[in-house]
Amino acid sequence: MQRRRRPSYPSSVQAELPLIVTTKAKGALVIAALDVAASQAGLGVGMALATARALQPALAIAEHDPAADQTLLERIADWTERYTPCVGLVARDGLALDITGAAHLMGGEERLLSDCLSRLNTQGFSATAAIAGTLEAARALTLFGEGGIIVPGREIEATADLPLAALGIEDTLVIALARLGLKRIDDLAGHPRAPLAARFGLDLLDRLDRVRGLVDSSISPRRPMPAYIAERRFAEPIGHEEDIHRTILTLAADLARLLERQGEGARRLELAFFRADGTMRRLSVETARPLRDPKAVMRLFRERLDALADPLDPGFGFDVIRLSSPITEPNIAHEPDFNGQNDLAEDIAALVERLGARLSPSRVMRIQPQDTHLPERATRFLPAQNGNAALAADWDVWREPEGAPTRPIRLLEQAEPIEVIAEVPDGPPIRFRWRRVFHVVVKAEGPERIAPEWWRTTGQTLPPTRDYFRIEDENGARFWVFRAGLFGRENETPGWFMHGLFG
Amino acid sequence: MSVSRESLKALRQSIAMIGRDGARHIDGSEMGRILLGHPEADRALGGGLMRAASHDVMPATPRDAAAATGFALGLVARLAEASAWVWIRQDMAGRESGEPYGPGLAAFGLDPSRLVLVSTPDAREALRAAEESLRCTALGAVLFEPWGDPKPLDLTATRRLSLAAEQSGVTLLTLRSGGHGPLGSSRTRWDIAAAPSVGEIGSGPGLPTFASHLVLNRQTGAGGPGGIWNMEWTHGERIFRPANSRHPFSPSGDRPVAAAAAAVLPFQRTG
Repeated sequence: MQRRRRPSYPSSVQAELPLIVTTKAKGALVIAALDVAASQAGLGVGMALATARALQPALAIAEHDPAADQTLLERIADWTERYTPCVGLVARDGLALDITGAAHLMGGEERLLSDCLSRLNTQGFSATAAIAGTLEAARALTLFGEGGIIVPGREIEATADLPLAALGIEDTLVIALARLGLKRIDDLAGHPRAPLAARFGLDLLDRLDRVRGLVDSSISPRRPMPAYIAERRFAEPIGHEEDIHRTILTLAADLARLLERQGEGARRLELAFFRADGTMRRLSVETARPLRDPKAVMRLFRERLDALADPLDPGFGFDVIRLSSPITEPNIAHEPDFNGQNDLAEDIAALVERLGARLSPSRVMRIQPQDTHLPERATRFLPAQNGNAALAADWDVWREPEGAPTRPIRLLEQAEPIEVIAEVPDGPPIRFRWRRVFHVVVKAEGPERIAPEWWRTTGQTLPPTRDYFRIEDENGARFWVFRAGLFGRENETPGWFMHGLFG
Repeated sequence: MSVSRESLKALRQSIAMIGRDGARHIDGSEMGRILLGHPEADRALGGGLMRAASHDVMPATPRDAAAATGFALGLVARLAEASAWVWIRQDMAGRESGEPYGPGLAAFGLDPSRLVLVSTPDAREALRAAEESLRCTALGAVLFEPWGDPKPLDLTATRRLSLAAEQSGVTLLTLRSGGHGPLGSSRTRWDIAAAPSVGEIGSGPGLPTFASHLVLNRQTGAGGPGGIWNMEWTHGERIFRPANSRHPFSPSGDRPVAAAAAAVLPFQRTG
């Protein structure tokens, strides 16, 4: 596949010139790619730039940017997903599509192939393509033949005249085989296999069989293939919000039927919108439980669509919309019980899902206790979607029916330094200033000594020991403060910090 | 068992709705209301705080944000005794007043494992999340904490929230850290200041104690009585009780007669 012209060339003079793309090889600039005009002028890939200039002084030259090429190829791959979700990358400028069972959606292989090529053509790409029984046969015919569609079972005839390079083997091997008089695929196929295997390895025969369509192979897709897919194609592209919503709902219903047959529910759902003019947009939502209900699926995507920072732009309309579920789990349908506990849990999971779809799952959290006594690490916020609910009993250590609470209800993200006057060096503060406000301490309890976890720090110096105090000021506000460092032992002037607030 | 989920849900909902006018729980509180535990406050409220309604909790001064949080959490503990609850806060509120702290919530008498924490980048999203949560009948309470006086939090928005609370039966508590403006459509509004805990000076800090000012009370008609009470939160019994008394409060005790309103200050208009 080749892009004919960079649309970013504004100058009309330059646009008329033969275009070459150069890259550095062994310290010299050589041609990495060229357009038709340049190739007609006698230039070729691998030619040094100096030679090319000598042959054709008027040249438009661009520097090779492999990363940009890769991005472009990925975008074209996204676009080709309109034909099938199974798309793989081949070499640096090729795409492989597994259209098994997908061709009829486009009205047959001929229609699919011509549709694909003409659409690529209108977007400014020259491409050749072949449809064959195996990936290697199609690749060989695309690169070394004329492409086209091979009638099933005729791969042997179709590939017979291709050069051995079409096997995708090393140049040195091609030369070695040529010395034996083997130049075409047919030559190789007619040769006894055992001596070939003994001399050149089994890999050669393997490749030969694949190119000739005798042994099947599969495409390794760019993205994991979803097991459940529903899609709609439109002769007239759709763009109205209502139409789009209605389509999502029908797709969700289709998907629900597929999932139900296997007793599965979706944990992740993806919607792909293919625009008639070639771009593609993917949206995904995650669920908190195996989900099938089309209305619930619809609601999740509605939230997602509503919250998009850059709204879905239909342009001239979408002509393919596909809903798939790459991650599923067995869906255990449960009967409603009379006290409704299952139902309640289900309702909360649905709420978590809806909020997560809109805000992102990392903003809908549950608190998980951690096995550490460092206060700021004693809990973690984890996405509620992944079923991170702790057990009530996990919190029992902190429950004391008698006496005042020993831990604050709110913890500052970062302990804030405070100015403190203390009566004795290792006693509680008697006055302190926090956020520019002066507080007089009337009640205090402590210290509660929390030592650093030396077994978790490797290499660095140990953070200072903390002495925590619960204090109450003259207005009744209650704070959790600590002194970092043992006076006179760890440092001379230990700092004080505000860490938490009590009710 | 062929009872459909929907009909069960409807049944449960109608049970929750039963006797919003008059029926009593075993502990003497009216259906659809929850006793705070502080007799005078409960009397002023006409038999406890209304469920399925919206209530505002405001810090009396900016430095009382933690006290207001404590009071609101006490109400949550009363409302969501065995059910899940959601705490929605704007990022700014967490940054300024601190993030919810699990061990502290457990020590306060709450069960952190039943809490779903939602954080939102702005007030608009916080409002949406609150409304969405209020529609989930499985929740015991929604604690909504916007920051400051955000524009989207106008009369229409708060009315929508109140309506959602009434329809689903889920109680909304709005904790207004860093804000002042009065909110439109709540049943009650409380200004909360920290109050010295019971115990001698020089001892350790005692139980969470609040100077709770009921500045707006629409529970018993348009202008119900207000009042200021010092309340102490007892995480063991999970009730508010008068801060000066150490006698255990028994919610099943005598129900006050309506005439006891003499002890209650008249409703004052503020700000």
